Amino acid sequence: MYRYDEFDHAFVSARVEQFRDQVTRRLSGEIAEDAFRPLRLMNGVYLQLHAYMLRVAIPYGTLNSKQMRMLAHIARRYDRGYGHFTTRQNIQYNWPKLSDTPDILAELASVEMHAIQTSGNCIRNVTADHFAGAAADEVADPRPYAEILRQWSSVHPEFSFLPRKFKIAVTGAPRDRAAIQVHDIGLHLKKNEAGELGFAVYVGGGQGRTPLVAKLIRDFLPEEDLLTYVTAIVRVYNLHGRRDNKYKARIKILVHETGVEEVTRQVEAEFQQIRESELKLPEGDIRAIETYFAPPALPDRADGWEALARAKKADGAFASWAAQNVQPHRHPDYGMVTISLKPIGGTPGDASDVQMEVVADVAERLAFDEIRVSHEQNLILPHVALGDLYAVYQALETSGLATANAGLITDIIACPGLDYCALANARSIPVAQEISTRFGSPERQAEIGELKIKISGCINACGHHHVGHIGLLGVEKKGAELYQITLGGSGDENTSIGEIIGRGFEPERVTDAIETIVDTYLGLRLEPKETFIDAYRRVGPKPFKEALYGQTAEAA
Amino acid sequence: MDKMTKIWNQSGFLDNDTWVIETEEVRAGEGERAIVGLETFLDTVEHSNESGFGVLLRPADDVARLAPHLDRIALVAISFPAFSDGRGFSHATLLRQRLGFTGEVRAVGDVLIDQVPLMLRTGFTSFAVSNPVALARLAENRLPGIAERYQPSAVPSTEAGGFSWRRIGGRGA
Repeated sequence: MYRYDEFDHAFVSARVEQFRDQVTRRLSGEIAEDAFRPLRLMNGVYLQLHAYMLRVAIPYGTLNSKQMRMLAHIARRYDRGYGHFTTRQNIQYNWPKLSDTPDILAELASVEMHAIQTSGNCIRNVTADHFAGAAADEVADPRPYAEILRQWSSVHPEFSFLPRKFKIAVTGAPRDRAAIQVHDIGLHLKKNEAGELGFAVYVGGGQGRTPLVAKLIRDFLPEEDLLTYVTAIVRVYNLHGRRDNKYKARIKILVHETGVEEVTRQVEAEFQQIRESELKLPEGDIRAIETYFAPPALPDRADGWEALARAKKADGAFASWAAQNVQPHRHPDYGMVTISLKPIGGTPGDASDVQMEVVADVAERLAFDEIRVSHEQNLILPHVALGDLYAVYQALETSGLATANAGLITDIIACPGLDYCALANARSIPVAQEISTRFGSPERQAEIGELKIKISGCINACGHHHVGHIGLLGVEKKGAELYQITLGGSGDENTSIGEIIGRGFEPERVTDAIETIVDTYLGLRLEPKETFIDAYRRVGPKPFKEALYGQTAEAA
Repeated sequence: MDKMTKIWNQSGFLDNDTWVIETEEVRAGEGERAIVGLETFLDTVEHSNESGFGVLLRPADDVARLAPHLDRIALVAISFPAFSDGRGFSHATLLRQRLGFTGEVRAVGDVLIDQVPLMLRTGFTSFAVSNPVALARLAENRLPGIAERYQPSAVPSTEAGGFSWRRIGGRGA
């Protein structure tokens, strides 16, 4: 992983002191909340329903055990003993004191972490495939490019007051695990026919109240042009993105209203002007950043196969966990482990300080000291020898971290909702908990197979409901909470936006409605291998509408 | 400019600045120099041989329209109707880097202390400041900038070593 050099250390320390000065001015009243707001946001500090919230950046979701222990320490010392991993591969603390935040940032800086640009109308933390550097289908590791983008976008003098937030995601495999097509810029790292690395560039995707799938504006951008091309896109957006209505201020609206051809023309024209500028990446720099992400030396561990088979035979629960939460690694003697933060009936994405310590210990002892945060709010150990899987499982299991549900119906994404968030209309977490409990039995989940439920407590769509196979959106109607259901969304290489199936459901009826949808799917699938999303794409919404609302029902 | 507004540049506050942004009500008087809107400027410059103009660039204006007349412009004032409207940062960048303008670029409007270091880096050279905290900080020359930069900008800067995009500077530009 990337390690700070002297320059990075000096920068982050200076940033902490800069923010300490701003907080001091805020606490003394020298600076008004209005002017302080963008400054605190660009340092990850939100004002929530009950308290300040601090969002710490975990660049492209990669961290080591030392950093994970620091996150645990912060949860213990400054918060209420837990943190919440987010869909942008970050962690949020829900109860810090504003006056403590500079100290928290100073503690983070000591382990090469920060909270820079995790919020605000600027270029946000860059996300990447959580299986980067380990996945069998990967063309190249996307993280070096994400790191280059992280550095370049940090305290960018031209792009710190954009019309709205700006999110970039990078993937390096044909299978898109970073949902790049619902980002402001999505970069798909690939090789051209000559074997050179470059990017397919997507622009203008996003969720929120106007969900749009990003448009491909460049089929192959040479890697050396990464920063100049992204600069061209952001400059066009900064100058021409709407500023009259914050709900229409994202680049997706600019692309939608101006037209993808015209926006592409403007971007290409700007790019031609700066293509040969100082931002053109020297080959040497790219390769130097790349060396930081060289995979650990993974010794052959062929003995592990037998040990794994033996352990599976002896322990059925382990066998189900290994089947569900371990993915093939590019090295055949290794696997990629998903540590589920979705215990049955629990809060999606939450981890206690003790759990974070356990993950740190396991990573250090048995997983080459590497941990990832996935945008699906789970943790990943990307390199585990098959022969060590049982030991990893046992260590996780005692701390409630071995739920065997990766990719299944209880692996729910949910935003913090009305329990924490000032914007929410509805409580996402209790709904997630009830669905999780209803479908919690391992047999039932296995029978249903891959099914992604995503829940947002308001139209801002932090829970990514638009790309859930089943999406739930909390709305407020006449003072009561109501959940609107969307079907057929997907956030992968075949990205689609879910369709609203009909009138919403009251909180106490929503789990029944999900059950009706699931039973309908089970009844109509051609074979157990036909997943929910495949079946939905084959039959469309009609059978589900009929099951939910009756033959004659009209969509509300 | 109202009485509370002071002009600052990197050598300090100016007490003899004579630029005046012209509006319906305000006209440059005896010994003062006018800063006029882009349309007025383009109109005037066509019909005169004068130089030393001052032009006001608003967020929605296209900076490229100044290109044919740069040698006749002494000052470009870029307005920030609200500090959160960041278009002015791109205008300044383009004015310096694309058009090669070497005259004075002034930030006017909602100019706050925390934005000044970023403005300096994008090529602003003077600031019309009325915010009391900004005035106090500038008087003490306490700029809240960061010396380590991860990107080149419109202002010539020293390479920091390490990677090609890094630069090093002072607390300001």
